Parts: sequence; C-alpha cells; structure tokens
Amino acid sequence: MKSSSKIQTLKASVEHFLPFISVLVLMVALSLSTPHFLTWLNISNIIRQHAQIIIMAVGMTFVIVSAGIDLSVGSMMALAGICGTFLMTAGVPIPLAVLGGCFAGLVCGLLNGLLISRLKIPPFIATLGTMQVFRGLVLEITKGLPVDEGIPRSFGILRNGNLSDLIPIPFFDLIPIPLVLILLICVLASLTLRYTRLGRYSYAIGSNVEAAHHSGIRVGTYIVLIYAVCGFLAGLAGMIEFSSLVSGQPTAGVGYELKVIAAVVIGGGSLMGGEGSVSGTIAGALLMAILLNACVHLHISDYIQQIVIGALIVLAVAFDQLRKRKMAGGGV
Amino acid sequence: MSQQVLQMVKINKSFAGVRVLRDVDFDLQAGEAHAVVGENGAGKSTLMKILAGIHRADSGQIVWKGMPVEMPTPASSLRLGISMVHQELTLAQHLTVAENLYLGREPLRQKQLGIISRRSLFRQAEQLVHENHFDLDPSAIVLRLSIAQRQLVEIARALAAESEVIIMDEPTSSLSAREAEEFFQVVRRLKAKGVGVIYISHRLEELHEVADRITVLRDGQRIITTPFHSIEMSEIIRHMVGRKLSAMFPKREAKIGEEVLRVENLSRAGVLHGISFSLRAGEILSVAGLVGAGRTELARAVFGVDRIDSGRIFLLGKEIRLISPSKAIAAGMGYLTEDRKVTGLALNLNILTNVTLSNLKKLVSFGKINLREERKVAGQYATRLRITTPSLRQKVLRLSGGNQQKVAIAKWLFAQSKVIIFDEPTRGIDVAAKRDVFELFVELTRMGAGILMLSSELPEILGMSDRVLVMRRGKIVGELDPRHTNQEEVLRLATLGAERAA
Repeated sequence: MKSSSKIQTLKASVEHFLPFISVLVLMVALSLSTPHFLTWLNISNIIRQHAQIIIMAVGMTFVIVSAGIDLSVGSMMALAGICGTFLMTAGVPIPLAVLGGCFAGLVCGLLNGLLISRLKIPPFIATLGTMQVFRGLVLEITKGLPVDEGIPRSFGILRNGNLSDLIPIPFFDLIPIPLVLILLICVLASLTLRYTRLGRYSYAIGSNVEAAHHSGIRVGTYIVLIYAVCGFLAGLAGMIEFSSLVSGQPTAGVGYELKVIAAVVIGGGSLMGGEGSVSGTIAGALLMAILLNACVHLHISDYIQQIVIGALIVLAVAFDQLRKRKMAGGGV
Repeated sequence: MSQQVLQMVKINKSFAGVRVLRDVDFDLQAGEAHAVVGENGAGKSTLMKILAGIHRADSGQIVWKGMPVEMPTPASSLRLGISMVHQELTLAQHLTVAENLYLGREPLRQKQLGIISRRSLFRQAEQLVHENHFDLDPSAIVLRLSIAQRQLVEIARALAAESEVIIMDEPTSSLSAREAEEFFQVVRRLKAKGVGVIYISHRLEELHEVADRITVLRDGQRIITTPFHSIEMSEIIRHMVGRKLSAMFPKREAKIGEEVLRVENLSRAGVLHGISFSLRAGEILSVAGLVGAGRTELARAVFGVDRIDSGRIFLLGKEIRLISPSKAIAAGMGYLTEDRKVTGLALNLNILTNVTLSNLKKLVSFGKINLREERKVAGQYATRLRITTPSLRQKVLRLSGGNQQKVAIAKWLFAQSKVIIFDEPTRGIDVAAKRDVFELFVELTRMGAGILMLSSELPEILGMSDRVLVMRRGKIVGELDPRHTNQEEVLRLATLGAERAA
C-alpha cells in the first residue's frame, strides 16, 4: 500500500515533468547530431524568435486553466502593438510606449472578459468575434500599411538587444533582453497562479464553475481579470514582435493563436479547465521552438516542419488522455 | 381478472455487501396500474432497474407471460416489451418529437443506404399521437416542450416500441396540478389499452387516481401487496415507516442562543410561497418534505443562488439585501449542496484547494496565499473529520462518497460559518460516515452554529433536530417538535398538507 503509493507519486511526477524531460532529451539529441545547435548564439536566437509566443502562452495558461479560450491573441497582439508604435511616433519615450502597448492589450482583454462574463457568450465565440474586430481595427487605422516613420532605432533593443545595452556590465552582453522578460513574466505568473486568489480561483472556475459560484467566488469579476492578464501579455508580445523590425506590422500575429494554444496544451493544460501550469506551458512552447530550430539545422523543409508540429500536438494530448483514462480505471 | 404479464420471484440484490433487496416478489397484470411505494432506500428503484435491465439481480427469477426468461439487459428488456419512463428524462432535445419516438427504429426508404423516409416517420408519429389522444405535435422540437409534454413523448416512445409494461418513476414530481390531472387521464387510457403500468411515487395522495394494487417495500423487503381500495392511507404509511429509530444519532444537549438567521415572507414565483422561519445559535432546524416540495429551492434562495421575488433575509440580526453567495458567505452562511459533485466540489482539484476555497482570504496576506498555513489547517480538518486519504494533494475525484462529503463539510468549517445549510447531508454515504457527519453536527452546534438541515430521511430528521418544518408545494405547512411527533405524522403532513391531515 505504502510503496505502491510511492511508485504512484513517482510516476505522477515523471508525468508532470514529461514536457521538460522531452525538452532535455531533444536538446541532447540535437547537440549530438549537429554542432550548430548547442551554441549560445543559437539558443538566444530561439529565445528571441519565440519570445512573443512564449509570453502569450503564459497569458493563455490562465485562460485555459479557467476552462476558457482566447482566439483573439494574435489580433490583440497586432492591435496593441500598433497602439504602442503610434505612441512612439507621437514622441512618447520608448519604455512608456511599451507600457502603453501592454495597456492597450489589457483593454482588449477586458472587453473579451466582459463579453464572456456579462453577456454570457461562450469564450470560443466571443474571441472568434473579437479576433476579427481587432484585426479589422488594426487594418483600418493603419490603412494596411506598416507604421515605421519616426520610431527610434533603439526600440529594436527590446527584441534584438542584450542586457548590456541597458546595464553595461561584463557578461550582460550574453543575456538577450527577451530572455530577461520571459524569466520575469514566468516567475510572476507562476507565483500568481500558485500564491494568489486570482490563480487559485482560475483553477476553481475551470474545474467547476458552479462550485466556485457556490463558494462565494465572484466568478464574473475573475473571468474579466483572467482575460485582462491574457490581453496585457499579448500587448507586450506585440511590442516585442514589432521591435524586431522597428516597425508596426498590421498583419502581424495571424495564426499565432493556434501556436499559443498548442504550447499550453502540449504543456499539460486541459481545454476542459482546471489543469495547466506556467512551467508546463513554457516547456510546451520551447518544445515547439526547438523542434522548428532543429528542422532548420537538419535541413528539413517547411512543409515537413508543419507535419512535425501537428504530430507533436496530437501525440501530447493523446498521451495526456491515455494517462487520465488509466487513472480513472485505477481510481476509487 | 385479466392475464398476468410479468412476475418477479424472490429477487435478491446487494451493492458492495449491502443487501438492498431481499427475496422480493412482484407481479403485474395486463391493464392494471400497480403502485410501488416505500421510503428512500426501500429498494423501489433498484427493483425497477433490475426489470429494465440496468442492474442485474444476484438471484431470483423473472417470468414473462408464463415463460421464465433470462435476467434482462437494457436491450432485451425493451425487446420483451418493458419500457421505463425515467425521472431524469432521456430525450434527444434538439430533435423533433417524431424523430425521438422512432429513434433507432426509423422507417427506411432505402435499406442499404439507410435513407430515412421522413414522410412515413411523421405519418407514423401522427397516427400514434392521434390514436392515444396525446396533445403533441410530431414536428415540434423537444427542447421547446414543457416537462409534462416531454413526459408524454417518453410514454409515446414506449408505445411506439410496442411495450406492454411501462415503468413510471415519480412521473408527477415536476408537473403542476392541472398537468398531473391530464397525466392521470393518459395512464387510464393506457390501462384501457391493456398496458400494464408500474407506478412509483412518493405522493401517496395521488395514487387513488390510478392505482389498482399497491406494494409497500421497506428496507429491501416486500411488506404487503394488496388491492388499493382495500387499504387505508394511514395503514400504508405505517407499513412504510415500520422500524424504530436506531442508535445512529449521537446525544446532544442543545444550548440554544441568539437568533442567527431569520427569513421573512420569502417568495419566488411558482416555487416558494411566503416562507418565514428563524434559526438560533446551537439549534438544528430540519425541513422535511417530499421530492419537489421546494426544500432545495428554499436553500438556494436563502443562500442567494436564485433570485427571490420578495421577502427579507436577516443574518446575525442584519438584513442582507440582494443576497448572493459571496454576500451570504461574507455574512457567515455556508451551504452544503445536495449534489456535491455538481455544485459543491471542484472534483479535479485536490483536497487542500477545496477545503479553503470559500474562505481563501483568511490565508492571504499582502495578496499572497500562505501555503504552509493552508496545509496545516487543511490537515487539522482532515484529522478532525477523519478524512481517509493518502495525501492532502489527492484529487477529490478519487475519494469515496463519504470522504468527499467530509471535504465539503470541512470547507464550511474553515469558512467559520455561523449558519450552515445542509441539503441531504447523508445522501450516498455509508453508515460510518453518516455517524461522523452527525457527530460533527453536535460539535458545530456546541460551537454556537445554527444548522438548517434539509433531508428526505425521516429518521435523521427526527433523530437530530430540535424543530421540524414540513414543506409541501413551496409552502411551510407545519412545524413539529420531534420529541412529540413520529414519522407517520411528518409524512402525513408532507403528503396531505395541514387541512386534510388534521
């Protein structure tokens, strides 16, 4: 009895860390098969290229844990990012403009949350709608043209720079700024999910919204907050994305929502709610990012890359389902 | 009389070592309505589910039109000609009435390709509905029908399957008086056609409308089967109750204090009518009533889950306006719901999370939940309530019913509620866990909480409470002192109401 439960906890933790174990195994395998993989330059490139996906996936984790979905993240990212770049063209200092972009995302997220909690529109439908609305807004206010005039070159630091660009200390030139942002956000989001009411109630709402309501949780308010967090991070992702070319692209982020959702799901999030973690999501996003990077180094075509990523999503969820079925079978 | 269609002989059934049916005999004639009555847990539903093939009897014999048959499966039961009209209706809500009537037996225009002939489907449905004088439109979508009409569809479906025996489980529990009257007409016509009806009901007063014979079950045994006209209502009730109060209930010295909850003139259209009562510290107040009397609705209204149309609610002397669950909890109320899996617990989260969910702010300082403190207090409750689990991180999903219920109770203990509403606190839990729950009641009242207990179990109502309110059709029809009353009186009041019971 005792030892079997010990084996069970061991098995459970292996399953919990499976996304990380997969990332490590993949990294070792790649390091052995190509000398170009395990270089700091390559690793930091992976981080820079996928920072916006990783950051949005963190926000999506809150949404999916609460049994919601946000299809509008790609469009929110573009709309919020464009708002931020507009601020820069108007002469607002870069840090403030970046915050402004985040804030624009937050407002979009609030709107999503209100549609879902007040008008009782299912999240899939509400965000399917706002996905189009936000995209249309971006295209309308930019007339479909990139926003680049009058944006200072130093905006590029956000994605392309290293920590030494802000604080000139040796070794800091090895640390990409997006990495710093990702770490900061992951730690904050992890702590929020684990140590705050917002996090705890996200799980409770996702697990059983009726029980949450009966427990006195103001479900509507928390749903609004959850989508606002997701929007805020989409705004930040937009600023990072636009910093790479130092210009706002109205068509940026098309199709990102699926990558973001995939990252959460591969990392153990359940679309039925109540399950998911920031660390899992990060691992899920990294798994996709590294696989794509590997495809490049191993000269695998774009077409095959899509097949690989698609298969990864299906396999990850299939494994998760299998695990749950086994648990239900063995349960009391 | 007419011929016997069905006979069940010496049926035995146990669940997890508990005997729920003991050598039960039962029979049904063509064209008769045979009522089956008994308290909760008497074995009525189990007996019927064996007939419908949902459960398998451990031993016994079923004889169909004089021929012994195998213990049925759901499919073979239907093939024999037995249909069950379920309490929870089982229709495809988005399809039409006609489509539901012939679901799985659609008339085909082209056999190989399975192309359905919609025209003959609707013609057949039309004919069936017409022949039986059912007030139904075959092309109506089921979703738009009233509960009463959906029930008709279920019955019509049984007829479409050419069933000769129809089992009806609490068919009138959600019907209005007028709808019930129409329903009895339908049953009488079924009888006239030669269909045998097995009629399970808690509403003894309506049986005279349809029943030809009655069988009383108690504690898994058949007590009596007799023609309905030859037995008095009071005798039926006496047979149903029969047993003595067991030593299940711990002694308690009630030290009754200040009023903690007062409800004045609470109404909710069609559900609750002018309900007033008060509850004091250290008191256990029970609400008895039949299925559909409005007990759960009362709890939901007081706790602010459902909106009320009029009435006032006072907690610890202060009026709570526009009550909602979060306001109720903040004011010191707790609500242990009847269906813990649907409204009580977050099943795929762990014990810790569930215990602290409704008072999490107590563990929060500067926005941060103190996880160590959480583990400590949840551990204390787990020990105190004797929750058996390998770990506090166990998902609630994987606990037994009794342990789940204890987690749900721990949640309200942790919330330090001064008024706790317990809706069917012992449903689906075993005897040892029941005893634990009652001991907890004693402790809660000693600590000065007031308990409002809603229950269908008369023994626990009489064994545990200080006062008993009896509800019937959304109204309180009487208040009884459990020391000077008995189960017969409560049941009489609950079924017949104050006027006729007197």
